[in-house]
Order: sequence, then C-alpha cells, then structure tokens
Amino acid sequence: MDEVKIIEKKEIPEDCIMLFGFPDVGLVGVIAASHLISELNNLEEVAYVDSKLLPPLIVLHEGLPHSPIRIFGNHDILLAVSETAIPADVIYPIMYALIDWGKSKNVKMMISLSGIPIQERQDVEELKIFAAASNPAVLKTVQDLGIEILKEGYMVGPQAIMLQRCANIGLPAITLLAQCFFNYPDPEAAAEVLKGLTKITGLKVDVSKLLEKGEEIRLKARDVMRRTQQELSKMKKTQEYDMPLYIT
Amino acid sequence: MSERKRRSIFDLIDEYFENLEESVRRLRESLLEKPSWDRKACTIEPLRDISVSPTEVIVTVDLPYTEENTIRVKPVGRDAIEISAKMKRKISFNDFGITHYKGEFQTFHCQTRIPVPVYMDKMEVRFKRGILEIRLPRKHEYEIPIE
Repeated sequence: MDEVKIIEKKEIPEDCIMLFGFPDVGLVGVIAASHLISELNNLEEVAYVDSKLLPPLIVLHEGLPHSPIRIFGNHDILLAVSETAIPADVIYPIMYALIDWGKSKNVKMMISLSGIPIQERQDVEELKIFAAASNPAVLKTVQDLGIEILKEGYMVGPQAIMLQRCANIGLPAITLLAQCFFNYPDPEAAAEVLKGLTKITGLKVDVSKLLEKGEEIRLKARDVMRRTQQELSKMKKTQEYDMPLYIT
Repeated sequence: MSERKRRSIFDLIDEYFENLEESVRRLRESLLEKPSWDRKACTIEPLRDISVSPTEVIVTVDLPYTEENTIRVKPVGRDAIEISAKMKRKISFNDFGITHYKGEFQTFHCQTRIPVPVYMDKMEVRFKRGILEIRLPRKHEYEIPIE
C-alpha cells in the first residue's frame, strides 16, 4: 500500500484506541475530533498521511505546511482527522492504509465518529446515537452500555470501510453515529457522539464549549461542508436512506 | 450485419436520470469553484438545500448567527427566490485566522432557482435552530391523461 504513506513524527504509543473524525454528513466526526483536540490539551500531532492520491493541497498553520489528514495522539488515544473533504475515489486506499498502520501499532480498538442524517432535523430536540460493530462481542458490549444498534441498512463512507476492514482483519471496531443534518454542520450531533464515546471508552470530554460555540462552528465549517457535500454526492451517500433488500 | 440491441423503457429512464444526475453534479461543481463570500458586497453565501415533494418544494438555508427579524425572502420572477439575512455581529477574515485577505461580512445572501412551477404567493417561511425553511406549494399546470 505504498500509494499512501503514514509518516510518523513522534514515537507512537501502543495499545491505544484509535479514533476517526472524517468529513461526512453534518461534519459530525470532524467537529467532534476538533473539539477533542482543543479540549484534551495533551493531544499532539504524531503522524500524517502522505499520498499522491490526494488533491495537491496542504493546510497552512502559522505559515507552515501540514497534511490535510493528520493523526494526533497521547498515551491513550490516536485520533485521525481530516481538515478537508476526502475525494470519494481515494477513501478506500486512505482508510486501508490508516487501519493497517493502526494494527501495526497494536491499536486495541478503532472507533469512527460520524453522523446519520435525519429529515426535519431542526425539529428534533434530543438526538439519538446508534452504533454498529465489527464483531458480535463488541456489538454486545455497546448494546449493554445502552447504545442503540443500527440493525439493518446501508452505510456509506469512511466509517463503512473502517468497519468492514476491521471485521476482515479481526480488529475490534465501532462506528458511532449521531442523528444529524445531512448538508449542514451539526455541532449538537458532534456533542452527542462525544457523549457516546465517553460511555464506551470512559474518556471524559466536556462538551459545553462545543454547544456554546455551536453557531460560530457552523459558520466556520461552511466551506468544508460545501466541499464535503460534493464528495457525499459522488459516493452516493443518500443510499443510506434506502430500504435494504434482505438476503439471509 | 450488426444487430441493434433493443433497450427497454427502464434502461432509457435509468439513462435519463443518470445523465440528469451527472449534469446536476457538473453544475454543482462549477458553482462551487468560486469563493463563498463577496468582499465588495460584504456578503457570505449560506449553505442551502432544496427538495421537491409531490405537493411542495422545500428550501432550507443554514443561517447561523442570524437576527431572525432581518431575514428577507423574496421571489425573483417565477422560478427563483432571493434570501438575505443580517448576522448578529460582523465577521472578518481575521475571525477565521486569515490575515492575507481583508474584509468584513455581516449579511448572508443567496439566490436559488426553484426547479418546478410553484405558487410564489403561497410561500410559507419559518426559522428554527438557525435553519430557515421555505415551503412553496407546487403548481401542477396540466396532467397527462392515462388511457
């Protein structure tokens, strides 16, 4: 998988939980990841993705170049986050490279943070969270924590690839999804998904600032959301609304 | 002699919708390749979405930081609407950490084309959780009789 390289900047701790916050519906994962980075002061950039499959784009921070897909970490977690929409046609190689890299670092579990779009979202006061897992034991653990299982349906995007790849290589994985807007940044949904993450991992995250700054985040996330909408359309994200044909 | 394969009506419909989807995608991409702000007019283009049901067209617009009483929705001809709204405070490039552009914005502004005929005068508007929702009843000008 040389077309995607993970360049390590620091020593990578082993036995961590690896989290993913990638652009998707409502930008739930990215907003949640960004909040984790600002809230947990000890998360630092430990690695980044280098690939010619990605558009010719860098992210400048304080005048210095950074990869749009970076991995932050401390002793307990590794957090892969993308600051830009990932082209639909490179999601497979990027996710495979990240997951295989995580496995090589003896990651004990992978959790993808994302959203599940609902219609009339603006009328919903309490957002539900759902989960799907890579094997029955993990699914039961999640269920025992009171998180509803996404029983049937389609899943499209990086979190779908993560779940399938982890199931194939025997790595415990969970995709955690909060009900959200399809096309608009949804900080409230990001807060819900982080509450779900706390239930699963015990990681304490205060989401009050995230909710306070909701409007500001929605304004700032506008352009990333626009680009993400384009990729969601290419990957046929609306298929998640489809009713599945049950084959047993 | 090559035999021309007859295509079913379903293939033709599928092809029609695939072409339509591709055209919409291309149009969306072309619209995307410009800034989402207008420095001269001091406006920001909001995120918006449009859906068509059998009875109505629903346009939603994401308007964070908006003063509800400043929202204006007005028809532009028979097939477009123009939306503007004032933000609670001025936003500058600096607020986004950008120092190589100068400018301030305090207004959302956009124009959206309505894809099917609607009754503009029966428009219903509501604003909840920073989302503006515009409902326009569809105008069914004629029906094709089924024999």
